[in-house]
Amino acid sequence: MSKLMTVDILSSIKGAKPSEAVNKLFDDIKSADINGEASINLNKNSVSLQDLRDDVVIESSALEKQIIIENFPKEKNGYLVVSKVIEE
Amino acid sequence: MSSQILKIHQQLVNKEITCTALVQEKLELLSQNTNNTVNSLLSDTALNLAAKVDEKIANGENIGLLEGIPFGIKDVYMVQGTTTTASSNLLKNYKSAYTATAIQKLLDAGAIPLVKENCDSFGHGSSSENTIFGSVKNAVNPELVGGGSSGGSAVNVAKNYTVFSIGGDTGGSIRQPAGYNNIYGLKPTYGRISRYGIMAYASSTDCVGPIAKSVEDIRIVLNAMSGKDVKDQTTYASAEIDADAIKTSEGIKTVGYFKNFIESDAISPEIKADFLSAIEKIKAKGIEVKPLDFFESNTLVSTYYTLAMAETASNLSRLDGTNYGNRIEAENLKETYAVTRSENFSEETKRRIVGGNQVLSQGFSDAIYLKGLALRDAIANNFEDDFKKVDIILSPVTPNTPPKIGDSLKDPHAMYLSDAYTVGFSLGQLPTLTVPQGTETGLQITAAKQNDELVLKFANFLKDTI
Repeated sequence: MSKLMTVDILSSIKGAKPSEAVNKLFDDIKSADINGEASINLNKNSVSLQDLRDDVVIESSALEKQIIIENFPKEKNGYLVVSKVIEE
Repeated sequence: MSSQILKIHQQLVNKEITCTALVQEKLELLSQNTNNTVNSLLSDTALNLAAKVDEKIANGENIGLLEGIPFGIKDVYMVQGTTTTASSNLLKNYKSAYTATAIQKLLDAGAIPLVKENCDSFGHGSSSENTIFGSVKNAVNPELVGGGSSGGSAVNVAKNYTVFSIGGDTGGSIRQPAGYNNIYGLKPTYGRISRYGIMAYASSTDCVGPIAKSVEDIRIVLNAMSGKDVKDQTTYASAEIDADAIKTSEGIKTVGYFKNFIESDAISPEIKADFLSAIEKIKAKGIEVKPLDFFESNTLVSTYYTLAMAETASNLSRLDGTNYGNRIEAENLKETYAVTRSENFSEETKRRIVGGNQVLSQGFSDAIYLKGLALRDAIANNFEDDFKKVDIILSPVTPNTPPKIGDSLKDPHAMYLSDAYTVGFSLGQLPTLTVPQGTETGLQITAAKQNDELVLKFANFLKDTI
């Protein structure tokens, strides 16, 4: 596979191209004045390791499982059908 | 306006109305409305719950304050067994397998869900026109947009179709439609209310919040939904806000406003004049007012959209039609992903996903994404310094009045720029309330992080001041 991927491939959207409206935003951010406060990424929004929840498995209810199956797009003979997987 | 929740509660307790009649009336109004606010009605559930409330009252049992109060839900929240579409083609038949924590808390308190409400698809928009259910029309003037992305929720509250509604605010999606429809809308401090069960747009600024017609109703609903949730690691424990604690403006001595918001060429002369007039009335009450320096509007908007697009590109990558959604089969798995996403996402959603993948790509990320993160830190630092000088920051909600339906879709960049006054507070994760006073699209009241109580307190003060 090529190392260079275009935005249509990255986005899984056929024919997708960068838009003028969004590129204008990027021009603004490139030229933005950061007021000499280049405090690159202090991770202010991260969650503390001390505050992580326990890694436990929570069993889904029967109704939840039933709805998950109902939402599956395709079923055949009691099996959930996915598209053919390709190998590259 | 006084509390609708308290009024209806008293009417139910005094047996002046029945809950069933109340719910029936609201469901009829919703089903007949021409503002395109409804994605689906929850009639059977609502009427069953209403009958139970009536039975309790008939048996002489006490009911809680929210018990029997009809409310609306933006169609991005999971409510088990209901269709949750995010106003998108991809999820038009998707059924929620579980219920969002915030909504579950309201159900546990006895509130009655009536409707899943129209909004911009996946929250992508500021006008509620990016939807498969038709553009939401403004409650005051139906030729204008209802605002967005929580447009259906704001219009339902403004038209009295719901007593309150639950919106979602990532960059202004509660506050701006509240302003456009002359009601209250709160974006609480990030993390005060669990995001579990809201369809993620930009996870680092997504907030759950109430839209209502009074400060008291905002307080009641906020208290019911707040709290730490093991299913959302970014939540924090918060104390309940007491009704008496927000009755006086005691403790509020200094108010600030951003000079550049008001001196900008983009603000309408009427909104500018009205805002400055409100400032004078606040000064006349003996409160010191300080003009503050802030980042340029273009910088705020581009920082917000850069980070939000990067996050939404990641969050929406799961929507490929494999396990759920409107899958369109093609010759292999990759093609199935691409065709499903190309055919089912709206133009605006595709624009944001592509923008997000651009900024996360090698060669772009340093100059744009990492700079966006650094700018966000600088903006947060700026707020921290400001709240050492002032108790409250007051600002307009929008630079202009609501556009006509159709105009925002023609010029996406102009739509992004119209969020200039709301996105900064989202990046700062601060509590901000829109009040329907001061300018034609209201005012925003902001306080320091986790100080939502002060915001409500100042809102009560403004009711008596301007």
